[in-house]
Amino acid sequence: MAEKRIVLSAKDVEVKFRVRQNYLTAIRNVSLDLYEGETFAIVGESGSGKSVFTKTFTGMLESNGRITNGSIMFYGRSATDPTTGEQVENPGIDLVKLVKDKDWEGIRGAKIATVFQDPMTSLNPIRTIGSQIVEVIEKHQKISKQEAKEQAINMMSRVGIPNAADRFDEYPFQYSGGMRQRIVIAIALSCHPEILICDEPTTALDVTIQAQIIKLIKDLQKELGFTTIYITHDLGVVAKVADRVGVMYGGQIVEYGTAEDIFYDPKHPYTWALLSSLPQLGVKGEDLYYITGTPPSLFNKIVGDSFAPRNPKALQIDFVKEPPFFQVSETHFAKTWLLDPRAPELEKPEVIHDLHGKIEQMTGKGGAFYVDDE
Amino acid sequence: MSTTNNEREVILSVRHVDVAFDVGGKKKFKAVSDANFDIYRGETFALVGESGSGKTTLGRAVIRINPCTAGEILFNGERISGKISKQQDRNVIRNIQMIFQDPAASLNERATIEYCISEGLYNFHLYKDNEDRIAKVDKALEDVGLLPEHKSRYPHEFSGGQRQRVGIARAMIMEPQFIIADEPISALDVSIRAQVLNLMNKLKKEKNLTYLFIAHDLSVVRFIADRIAVIHLGKIVEIAESEDLFKYPVHPYTISLLSAVPMPDPIIEKNRDSIVYNKEEDDPNAAPREMREIRPGHFVYANDEDMVAFEKRLEKLESYHAE
Amino acid sequence: MNYFKKHMFDKYSLKKDDFGKLPQENEPETNEAEINEDELFGFAEFDEKKSEVIAAPRYSYWKSVWKTFISSKFTVAVAIFVVLVVSFSFIYPAFSDYDPMVAPHINDVDWKYLAPSWQHIFGTDNIGNEVFDVVWEGARNSLIVSLTATAINMIVGIVIGAIWGFSKKMDKWMIEIYNIISNIPFLLLAMILAYVLRNKFSHLGEFGAFIPLIITMTITDWIFVAYFIRTQVMIIRDREYNLASKCLGTSTWTMITKNILPYLVSVIMTYISRQVPALISYEVFLSYMGLGLGQQYASLGRTISQYTTYMNGYPHLFWIPVSILAIISISLYIVGQKLADAADPRTHR
Repeated sequence: MAEKRIVLSAKDVEVKFRVRQNYLTAIRNVSLDLYEGETFAIVGESGSGKSVFTKTFTGMLESNGRITNGSIMFYGRSATDPTTGEQVENPGIDLVKLVKDKDWEGIRGAKIATVFQDPMTSLNPIRTIGSQIVEVIEKHQKISKQEAKEQAINMMSRVGIPNAADRFDEYPFQYSGGMRQRIVIAIALSCHPEILICDEPTTALDVTIQAQIIKLIKDLQKELGFTTIYITHDLGVVAKVADRVGVMYGGQIVEYGTAEDIFYDPKHPYTWALLSSLPQLGVKGEDLYYITGTPPSLFNKIVGDSFAPRNPKALQIDFVKEPPFFQVSETHFAKTWLLDPRAPELEKPEVIHDLHGKIEQMTGKGGAFYVDDE
Repeated sequence: MSTTNNEREVILSVRHVDVAFDVGGKKKFKAVSDANFDIYRGETFALVGESGSGKTTLGRAVIRINPCTAGEILFNGERISGKISKQQDRNVIRNIQMIFQDPAASLNERATIEYCISEGLYNFHLYKDNEDRIAKVDKALEDVGLLPEHKSRYPHEFSGGQRQRVGIARAMIMEPQFIIADEPISALDVSIRAQVLNLMNKLKKEKNLTYLFIAHDLSVVRFIADRIAVIHLGKIVEIAESEDLFKYPVHPYTISLLSAVPMPDPIIEKNRDSIVYNKEEDDPNAAPREMREIRPGHFVYANDEDMVAFEKRLEKLESYHAE
Repeated sequence: MNYFKKHMFDKYSLKKDDFGKLPQENEPETNEAEINEDELFGFAEFDEKKSEVIAAPRYSYWKSVWKTFISSKFTVAVAIFVVLVVSFSFIYPAFSDYDPMVAPHINDVDWKYLAPSWQHIFGTDNIGNEVFDVVWEGARNSLIVSLTATAINMIVGIVIGAIWGFSKKMDKWMIEIYNIISNIPFLLLAMILAYVLRNKFSHLGEFGAFIPLIITMTITDWIFVAYFIRTQVMIIRDREYNLASKCLGTSTWTMITKNILPYLVSVIMTYISRQVPALISYEVFLSYMGLGLGQQYASLGRTISQYTTYMNGYPHLFWIPVSILAIISISLYIVGQKLADAADPRTHR
């Protein structure tokens, strides 16, 4: 992991919103390094700030929000020096410094593209699918109309639209929900972005369609080599897509590591709680573990560990002082006082011991539900 | 459908029910066709399918929002579908209640929690005096883990999970026998879901309720349901005890649905692909299908030809589990 | 929800430098030196019930409407102005001895066409009447007619519209009635009514004289209100909370009063705020066409139509009543709009 190239590096990002007379701190000093070609999943509940955080990468915060601290360096792909032919590091741009829409040209949509939850928010209902893809291609590449159309049809068949050429002139309403999301992905990928942000892209879709869309994104990533940030609240989806995972709570990343780190060796009480409350792990007739209360109000200043008020096993210090990140392994970091040497020993809850074993018992070997005949 | 457990009492019986909607002109869209199953008193019966499968339509047919175009629905042995007397209609409302999917949309935002919960009491005058009504509301709030002081507040002051519990309290205050829960947790945050599921289980035990639990996520249903019916494009394709359905899934659609739900386990998820079920591949000239019992209490939608394949698959699964 | 966000953000979008001056957050004074961290690594107490408590102050809809309404100084000023103008137009005519049928100074040349001055605030007219008296008498009568007509239109329209929106059976034939009524040429109808109803109510005294005009203004107009309400009801009729009420056995009537109408307060307010000025100008129009109140009653419409002749020679005669009309209409409209805004819970906090 360590020798991997960083494509995007966010440092101490803080985002505030002004809502009427109050200020809401949506993101509190979050740092994140994104490695080239990986899929980083951000998991959190609504209001945890997962969407807001990634919106800062494309300058798409609502008009009453601002980044009040920190930097977001975007490096992108390394360039080849024309004289020596050597790989040269890109000096990078600080995305926080970009203000006007004009500054964002060439980055938003071109280098960093986003796929949103509801495909209809990204598609214009009264224009044909084809013309919408062509428009994006023409905007970012200087090619003829004919070439753009060819590229668009090519892109459409790549994202799995059958008879792409015939469906080029159809309108969004003639497409099903899953097909629309494929089109949104086609538009996002038509300028060969380096980072693709997927903001709950399958939440509105049926599970079988969701499986297809996730597979599509994965296949395209292998083929085109972009880096993916995947935002979701569904731990199943995280397990399916993520190389690395960041768990967000109350406007902060509280734990991050590889998917295996997070699922099989979680350290933060919030991650424990999230995993323990999964109905998949429930035993019939017994109560599921559940988290009481509600997430903290971001209007107030949060003292200490933001999860402490809902954590039955919180330490006293959690209410007084914010924990730093403790390193668990080379890849794994968690922001909890439990990792402090002075803290009492606390094992993760019984339910999430041997997570893999428990799931496999339910799904059969390899998750095939014992069905492997076809 | 023949009952396998004769000693169990049937509370709701859905007999060959069709629900169709007008779609302009003389055309009709059949949202549910030939639904046929019994629900036993005290069990949780899950109806699982994707959007457009007709699962919500069927649930609403039971509570008389959608009329049945064919077949009939019996509740405690009495027909409750089609034209029924006013008294019977009120009887259905008192005994069958509903929990809705979206707690933000299913509460009247302009009414206090007290009114929301009292609504049913008012309609049937189920209280002696005002004091008694308030006592009942307080009790209902307490039952779902909320505080009596909440009753003068408005729905938007609550979190999603709290609102859903208000929705549950509103249904429970009618002291129903049967509850239709239409995706009660899918609009909630993951951390809240467990609490609502626990609550539903607790109330079921305390009040001896029967649930029709409508959902799209098989893996969640496994925890709460005793029996599961899988519905696809208006047709029920498989009904089985919940453990059986996971151990011996035979219908290809059930298998595709099981394989599509992502499991919270990276080792499994990274290495499996979902199995795609394509109904169009079916031969249109195939012999007519019906629900057939393949194992005791395990029914599948099939014809003779399908049965051969399904039985072969079942044999394999049984030998697998015998190991 | 998205709409809500947008609405909220549009309303409260901020300038960039707003962020420069953050309010001082109350940082609790945690003096790091005083805390001995090592002692704090024990488990804290946990109370599950505590997490259910809602800390926010209690919400009340009407209180919030009121608070939002008075939060803008401009709105309060306009509202006070409206109250003053309306009450003045009712109080003043009671004390003035103006009578449209009597012109005490008709033969007094020195009393005619006087420009506004301290003695004659609005000047005098062609028959030596005080324009001030004429205008306020007219304003009073115009207000009586238009407010009564608005009230009738709204009450009838809301009741019928609510039932109309709810009943699929009723919708079929109500739509036909709506189509027929909306195709009747209004002026023709007004002319027929003015002719048929003339002097029919004169035995009822002064107010009786207003009745034909009020009937003309309401006989078809209610259906437009009803149609508007019907559309609004249909939009929210099938929302899940109404389905929930149905499942609890709530009657249609209770649903209309408890579930539907409370949601429509804001749009109804908006409608009223447009209806009152519209009906005032209606009255002006009808009187101008000679279809309004009888000779013996002043109204803004009649006054304006009478004085139009003098627009060039004595412009104050025309412009003063027109300005009064405009001021009353606009300020009523503003207050109505602001009330409608305040009644929209999205503006509450």
